[in-house]
Amino acid sequence: MSTPVSTTPSAPPAANGPSGTAAVPPRSSQRDGGNSSLGTFGVKSGLAQMLKGGVIMDVVNAEQARIAEEAGACAVMALERVPADIRAEGGVSRMSDPAMIKSIVDAVTIPVMAKVRIGHFVEAQILQSIGIDYIDESEVLTPADEEHHINKHNFKVPFVCGARNLGEALRRISEGAAFIRTKGEAGTGNVVEAVRHQRSVMSEIRKASVMNEEELYAYAKDIQAPFHLLKEAARLKRLPVVNFAAGGIATPADAALMMQLGCDGVFVGSGIFHSGDPAKRARAIVQAVTHFNNPKVLAEVSEDLGAPMVGLTIDSNLKGGRLASRGW
Amino acid sequence: MDTHQAKKDVTVGILALQGAFAEHQVALQKLSCQKKVVIVLVRVADDLARCDALIIPGGESTTIALLARLAGLLEPLRLFLKKKPVWGTCAGAILLAQAVENTKKGGQELLGGMSVTVARNGWGSQVESFEAPLLVDGLRDPDQSFTGVFIRAPVVLSLSPSPEDPPLEIIARLPAGLLPRSQTLVSPDEDDTDPRDPRTIVAIRQGRHMLTTFHPELTKDSRFHEYFVRACVLPSLSP
Repeated sequence: MSTPVSTTPSAPPAANGPSGTAAVPPRSSQRDGGNSSLGTFGVKSGLAQMLKGGVIMDVVNAEQARIAEEAGACAVMALERVPADIRAEGGVSRMSDPAMIKSIVDAVTIPVMAKVRIGHFVEAQILQSIGIDYIDESEVLTPADEEHHINKHNFKVPFVCGARNLGEALRRISEGAAFIRTKGEAGTGNVVEAVRHQRSVMSEIRKASVMNEEELYAYAKDIQAPFHLLKEAARLKRLPVVNFAAGGIATPADAALMMQLGCDGVFVGSGIFHSGDPAKRARAIVQAVTHFNNPKVLAEVSEDLGAPMVGLTIDSNLKGGRLASRGW
Repeated sequence: MDTHQAKKDVTVGILALQGAFAEHQVALQKLSCQKKVVIVLVRVADDLARCDALIIPGGESTTIALLARLAGLLEPLRLFLKKKPVWGTCAGAILLAQAVENTKKGGQELLGGMSVTVARNGWGSQVESFEAPLLVDGLRDPDQSFTGVFIRAPVVLSLSPSPEDPPLEIIARLPAGLLPRSQTLVSPDEDDTDPRDPRTIVAIRQGRHMLTTFHPELTKDSRFHEYFVRACVLPSLSP
């Protein structure tokens, strides 16, 4: 599979950003005679680093995007239906109408993200061409490929991908993802799966961090992860890219819980605009992510938020099925 | 925090409301200078009161400004700017400007402190974000270029120094011819190689304050952090 983008894939991330004082790798220059480099892994993962400590909110129109921006969202995710509605309505879920995404881009100054189906690299080419800031290759939409994910190195626009465990996260990073989120169980308002995924990633990293090289080789085979990325995660004692929580976060306490479990920020999907007072809840979750270690502030911001979204129990009867199992 | 200790140490705060504050912390921890650098992550006014200087990191300037207001930090920050050195990177640079274009609808709160006007997202969306080598005279090893990482970066539109303010000193410019053509900022047939064009300015100092429109904290090169401590923070400590 090839995409008509001329950037070369960059090396997987070292530590937390671009390659320091080393010369910038040769890349397509922006202009004749210029020597700047577009779409390096450094600027891709760098934007995720700028989003840290922030909340990324799902919005379905320009009006919601403005509410999110005023409430302090660090970015918005533009989509036609929030996950709770995708669950309720069923059917095949696809990339949103580019006109609708552009109307959101025009409405706000913060970064705008949009979702593509797993493996659907043409949807990604379309979103890159309209100048979207980040692409989510998301299990919330119906997968377009049941074996392959998008080769994300081929794009100038950066990608975020979901993961349930360390192996899955490192496979996505090796494909070029510059940003990882837990999958959680989107559209349920139930944080239990996001907790499971974050705990699993952190516990596997802790395990790897005390292994010697022989053990790391065996462990890399075991969790189906590229050895060099596993070694990097073990050395850093964290994922080598920014890691947000997503899927089922509905309250300020949920958001602070995920932050205390080691996430760098949170995505809130249906939890805001399916609640009684979206603007107030959005602002409270933004504050909860900043002051996640301060129970006094958390108590203040949790007061009088109105009705939260209706939550779903995650069992075999879950309407719309388990989305987190999509992705390979 | 008694004053005896303050003579040996210098306390640098990092505004830790949202954004890449941890990266600045790592860069400061690596510095070796004549005084021990104590780092404080600033989330409330009491944290700020302990600081001799402050770094405002990259992030989303609208989010940082809102969180600062909700945490009761806006006025303490404005007072701090009148007395002590502050360095803003990217979003932090926007907050230090006296005026900003391309703001969200209804405008945005600023701290001010430096006599510059900037445009948010001056280069365009994330696909226009780039890295470029910068040659910076004031840094240690000035012959070695510094990798400027520009992420949805602001662009300096104009400098407006007034006689009462300290003079503006341009620390770094982008190499000529790198202004983006696609944007409304530069029309296709405009000559953008004028060395005095303010839009090529990417780092400025005014008195003890400094702004960079790029992200030195995203590289492993801590020369800009060293420069801030050496040129802005340490001189401000002596009477």
